[in-house]
Amino acid sequence: MSTGGEVWIALGAALGLWTALSALRRGIPGPVAVIRWFAQSWLGRALALCAWAGAGWHLFCQRP
Amino acid sequence: MNRALGVALVAAAAAFSWWEGGLHQYSTAAHSGILAAIALTLASALVAGVGRQATTTGAWLRGPLPIRRHLVEAPGATVAVLVWIVLLLAVIGWDLNSFVHQRHDLPTLSSIFGHLTSSRGGRAAVVALWLTLGAALAVGWRRPR
Repeated sequence: MSTGGEVWIALGAALGLWTALSALRRGIPGPVAVIRWFAQSWLGRALALCAWAGAGWHLFCQRP
Repeated sequence: MNRALGVALVAAAAAFSWWEGGLHQYSTAAHSGILAAIALTLASALVAGVGRQATTTGAWLRGPLPIRRHLVEAPGATVAVLVWIVLLLAVIGWDLNSFVHQRHDLPTLSSIFGHLTSSRGGRAAVVALWLTLGAALAVGWRRPR
C-alpha cells in the first residue's frame, strides 16, 4: 500500500465514521443535510450543480 | 409526481446508466450521453425551481456568518458542521497535493474512481449514483407551489 493510498483510506474511514455518527446521533447533520443546505437557494443550487456537472464530465469522459 | 411517471423515470435512468456503463470514456456516444444528462438536469432545475427556493441567495449567504451565535444556540450542530468542512477540505487538499506531485504512490481521487469505473458494472453504478445526486440537486427540497 502506497503512502497516498494509506492517507485516502484514513480520510475515507474518517468520512465513513462521521457519516455513521450522523446517522446515530440526532444533533449531527449528515451528508444529505449538507446537500440540502446547498439546495436552499438559487446560488447554492447552481454552484452544486456546476460541481456535479464538472465531476460527471471528468469522471465519465476524461481522465479516469 | 405521478407514480407511473416516477417509475418510468427511474427505469430510464437505470437503462441510461447501463448503456453509459458500456461506453469508453473517450467515445463520442459517452460524451453525448453525459452532455445530454447534464442539459436535462439543468433544464429540470430551471423548470422546477421558479419561485420555489427555500430561501433567498442573500439570506443563504448570510446564514452561516454569525458563527458565535450559532455556537451559543446550537453548539453541537455547529461543531458538527465545522467537522464536515474540515473533512471536505482535507479531501480537496490531499487530492490537490496528489495531483500536483503526479507520483505513482500518490493516487488522485479521480484515479481511484478510474479503478471503479474500469468495468461496465462499476461505471454503470457510479453513473447511477451521479444521476441520483443530480436529480436531487435539480428538483429536491423545493417549496410547494
